[in-house]
Amino acid sequence: MRNPGGLHFIELTMLFVDLCIQGLIQGAIYALIALGLTLVYGLLRILHVAHAALFTLGGYVGVVVTNGSGSFLLALLTAMLIVGVIGMASYRVIYKPLLTRTPLIALIASIGVFIASEELFRIIFGAYGLSYATPPLKGQVELLPGISLSHARILVVVLAVGLLSGVGWLAVHTRIGIAARATVVDPAMAASSGVNVETIRYASFFIGSAFAGAAGVMVSLLNNLVEPTMGAVPSYKALAIIVLGGLGSVRGALIASLALGVIESFGTIYVGHLLDRDSIAFAFLIMVLMIRPQGLLARE
Amino acid sequence: MRQYFKTALLAGVLAAGSMVMSATADTVKIGFNVPLTGFAAADGQSALHGAELAVDQVNAAGGVNGSMLELVVYDDQASPKEAAPLAVKMITQDEVVAGVSGSYSGATRAAATIFAESKVPYISAYAIHPDITRAGDYVFRTSFMGEVQGRAGAKLIGEMLGKKRVTMVTINNDFGKSLAAGFKEQASNFGIEIVSEYEYSIKDREFGPVISKIKADKPDAIYASGYFFTAGPMVSQIRAAGLDQPVVGQEGYDSQKFIEIAGAASEGVMITTSLDRDSNVPETKDFIKGFAKKAGYPADMVAASAHTAILVLADALKASGSGDAAALRDAVAKTDLSASTGRISFNALGEVQKDVQVQIVKDGNWHHHSVISDAVLLAPPSE
Repeated sequence: MRNPGGLHFIELTMLFVDLCIQGLIQGAIYALIALGLTLVYGLLRILHVAHAALFTLGGYVGVVVTNGSGSFLLALLTAMLIVGVIGMASYRVIYKPLLTRTPLIALIASIGVFIASEELFRIIFGAYGLSYATPPLKGQVELLPGISLSHARILVVVLAVGLLSGVGWLAVHTRIGIAARATVVDPAMAASSGVNVETIRYASFFIGSAFAGAAGVMVSLLNNLVEPTMGAVPSYKALAIIVLGGLGSVRGALIASLALGVIESFGTIYVGHLLDRDSIAFAFLIMVLMIRPQGLLARE
Repeated sequence: MRQYFKTALLAGVLAAGSMVMSATADTVKIGFNVPLTGFAAADGQSALHGAELAVDQVNAAGGVNGSMLELVVYDDQASPKEAAPLAVKMITQDEVVAGVSGSYSGATRAAATIFAESKVPYISAYAIHPDITRAGDYVFRTSFMGEVQGRAGAKLIGEMLGKKRVTMVTINNDFGKSLAAGFKEQASNFGIEIVSEYEYSIKDREFGPVISKIKADKPDAIYASGYFFTAGPMVSQIRAAGLDQPVVGQEGYDSQKFIEIAGAASEGVMITTSLDRDSNVPETKDFIKGFAKKAGYPADMVAASAHTAILVLADALKASGSGDAAALRDAVAKTDLSASTGRISFNALGEVQKDVQVQIVKDGNWHHHSVISDAVLLAPPSE
């Protein structure tokens, strides 16, 4: 049994499985980035474009600390901590003073910070970008006959699943998680019930930014390269993801991330000569919004 | 008081005027647009080091016709909308005798049109779009056009390596498209069957899906176009997926940074380019040594191309003698010079005629593999 491409049925099945796996890995990275964006939108109704700069910062911290200390684990944790703290600072310095203005002003500020950050990275770390001196996690694991994955790719999935389910558990089982969800639904009511809204905001910025930092470290590992412009694609693609998922819906953003990863994976192979990866993503976004203008899982 | 003020102003104007006069009398200005910020800043920085090295070398040897060369540098961010006004500024305010582009195709095309209209000679160091030299008689190019390098790639894979089933991975900009066109034009002449072809964007660094499909395609060799910042991740991911076919690239890979990114995966990767690291030619050896000393990292193709372009101008300035733009243009057209990227001459369109260097990564460095010097195969278009 042959398809027009000349592949046997079994080969074709294996290829599809492989493409799904590649897509889910990419989707896991998107999910780590999109979480922070959707949390910020849910709480503040602000499109946090500068989030992508935190992703890039994560990549740089990952490479610099790994090359300096030799420990990738230390680098990953340091990156998450530093990026998380800088994320909180970005709320304090950029967004908090603008909360009384229309969200458009915060969006413009955010875009400005993002553009400036690219040149800042270039000035501090150089135009050529940085690479790992000895890239960690290079080993291979054979998942299925003919499909092997590097340890780095497996770590992406493990990390995304671990971190995201950790947040899910926090949201359901802890006081701060319940308070956070209450704040998203009705900030005034939550505040009057004794929820410290500011604490919720800082915590959300910390978690969302730290996850973006982790995604930056993982991407730096997969590409063995961090560049000043590394956040350019995530800056707008993550926005597409949270729109696709239904603005402010965490679950929707996660599903949209994985769906987009898989769509892009197949798309680059089968329509790649017509549309590049980003165009495929946006074509998919437009198609979904035509059918469901509120996104995949809109909040009521 | 009023009188005093007037006198002071007059004195100031005269002083400023004489400073400008003395500056123009002692130096010959060459305009240089180059991306020093934005996505192409890394290549821009290398190109600038290369151009400055050429100016230093010319001036250390006594300059041209008794004057020192001066490089007038502007950051064009590799953007046409930046490059066009900069070209006007270089010609009208700085009064450069000639310009060199150390930038990418978009910016270079925009500036080339203005230089051509103003009849001031302009050399594209490494931008490859075909329309650049078609802007007019005053525009030249010291690097290969994409088509020419694509043809050389077909010869390298089909004839010299004897690999016949080839997968193409093409970057979907003017660089990749023109390489692919040249490769396909010559593929059948070298017995190559193109089993599959994929395109990607300059923003892509993640090639997992394409590599999964290449694994199923089972080609004998991979012809992949790109720059060190796309090819580095790509080659590293190709080898990580267990594919061991030869990977052939082009001058876009030509940087030590490619080897740094791809690491051990870069071993054995071959490229068609302009710079031979193991050259015995004194001009090339001097350049490689001088560049490493000046820049603090090993030389690359964009640096060598910018270096060559400045030396071509210096040589033409000496030959033409006068400050006349038309005479300078004619002297550039008649160039026959041994420079860091080989023996340089131009055809009627202003396209360079030189050999293609094939370099291979061995033990973490670029090294000589072979030279392709087939004048018919490598003939650039002449109109």
